[in-house]
Amino acid sequence: MRELNYDAAILGGGAAGMAAALKLRDRGFSVALIDREDELGGILLQCIHGGFGLHEFGEELTGPEYAERFIRRVEASGISVFLRTTVTELLVEEGNKELVCYSDMNGAMRLQAKAVVLAMGCRERNRGNIRIPGTRPAGIYTAGLAQRLVNIEGYLPGREVVIVGSGDIGLIMARRMAWSGCKVHGVIEILPYPSGLTRNIVQCLNDFSIPLYLHHVVSRIYGERRVEGIDVMPITEGAPDPEARFSLPCDTVLLSVGLVPENELTKTAGIEMNPLTGGPMVNCMLMTSAPGVFAAGNVLQVHDLVDNVTEEAARAGRFAASYLSGERPGRQYRVKPGANVRFVNPVMIDGGKGGRLVLRSMIVRNNAEITVTLNKKTVKRIRKNHIQPSEMIILDLKEMDLNATGPESASDPAEARAFPMGGDGVLEIAII
Amino acid sequence: MKKEMVCVSCPIGCRLTVAADGDGAISVQGNKCQKGAEYAEAELLNPRRTVTATCTLKSDIHPRLPVRTAEPCPKEMIGEILSRIYGLTLIPPVKAGDVLFEHRGVRVLATRTLEG
Repeated sequence: MRELNYDAAILGGGAAGMAAALKLRDRGFSVALIDREDELGGILLQCIHGGFGLHEFGEELTGPEYAERFIRRVEASGISVFLRTTVTELLVEEGNKELVCYSDMNGAMRLQAKAVVLAMGCRERNRGNIRIPGTRPAGIYTAGLAQRLVNIEGYLPGREVVIVGSGDIGLIMARRMAWSGCKVHGVIEILPYPSGLTRNIVQCLNDFSIPLYLHHVVSRIYGERRVEGIDVMPITEGAPDPEARFSLPCDTVLLSVGLVPENELTKTAGIEMNPLTGGPMVNCMLMTSAPGVFAAGNVLQVHDLVDNVTEEAARAGRFAASYLSGERPGRQYRVKPGANVRFVNPVMIDGGKGGRLVLRSMIVRNNAEITVTLNKKTVKRIRKNHIQPSEMIILDLKEMDLNATGPESASDPAEARAFPMGGDGVLEIAII
Repeated sequence: MKKEMVCVSCPIGCRLTVAADGDGAISVQGNKCQKGAEYAEAELLNPRRTVTATCTLKSDIHPRLPVRTAEPCPKEMIGEILSRIYGLTLIPPVKAGDVLFEHRGVRVLATRTLEG
């Protein structure tokens, strides 16, 4: 077995992995960037549509173009890239972290590193996860798998399509299938409002007159060897209404019903997970409960914009570099989601310096107010024109915001101690 | 002519009603800002979209090359542009940014660099 040693190891060579690797390399550390695919770029390579890079580069790019900007820089940087390499185990102890990896080129390897950045991204929720009743014919795919088949492999998964879920992946694929000569019969969404961006509803559904069935569920998929159709029911008074059931004939069902951060390695390493995000708990340095193990991108929480993934991963890379140089966080406050907030990340904020928080709302609202309280005293109010669950909210809190109430304000030590990562006070974010 | 539409300039998504009277004057209702008025006028008189698709690449490793229109093209032209894209067969190497063809003033570019 090959034994290798690096200052930092990055798990995943997509948007997050590349950004973190570049930052660490900029600071002069030796970096191993590991990915299971044949090339770097992650999911961006199959996202041939536009909308990437508006914040990061000030231009609207397609996924492959965005990825290429980073791949070129990685290739020129002296980062050691391990492709077609799968990490099967992450072992963590105080001083050193060890990755057990396998690849066709290098066989079995044990890679030691002093810092690790988790950047494995996420996978798609499938039919088994949401348990759509009916038969199990061919022709049922997750939208992302269909996207890979169409855009990378050059196969059409079917001709008469129905899409379950109005998330962006499903909407983008509605347009892609329509532009590929298929007929998209409808998009079925369980919530009373769409999950994806309005821009995609307009440009992927309205442009093609594809019906959007809000507040509906797929009650059955039928067909023997191949999908022949689905049954759909509207939700009336909180439950599917069998009286109003109707059928949509189709030969292909694409599922766009949510993404799940890919944390199998994280969990088996014994790292503390955050049930609200599906990712690991991280402190103000984006560091997990395992010292020297950081996380960024979709593995931490599902993002909407790759530009935010890049920014977050670059920050994680900088924090990992600081950690390697001996820096440790000072006073931190525990960050807690309050009313109408599904989650906030990270779960700790630097009490002295402040930092960036990302959060998701549970509600749709115009003229909303975000309130920030420290130890139950309001320290900041932010007005937002429009908030909705599908658009992540970014808050930058400065040192002065956090010192507004002074260090003498009452904090509940018991509450802070009960939290796995501790904390010298509680910062709560709520939306009203 | 009169049209209902949703503005996509920002996440609010104002519902707009746009009308053009006989003299060609455009009236927009429902917008909260100027961007909405501009979007409505463009959507009514000259709706454009960026087209993204893939074309055939003669390669065992990469059978498809992703492409896009250099700028948004008129909506009525989308069908013709897609037909021409699907009729292409390219031979690597291809560089991102290479102009593959021009159709009635609309350029179509490769969006990925592929050696083989």
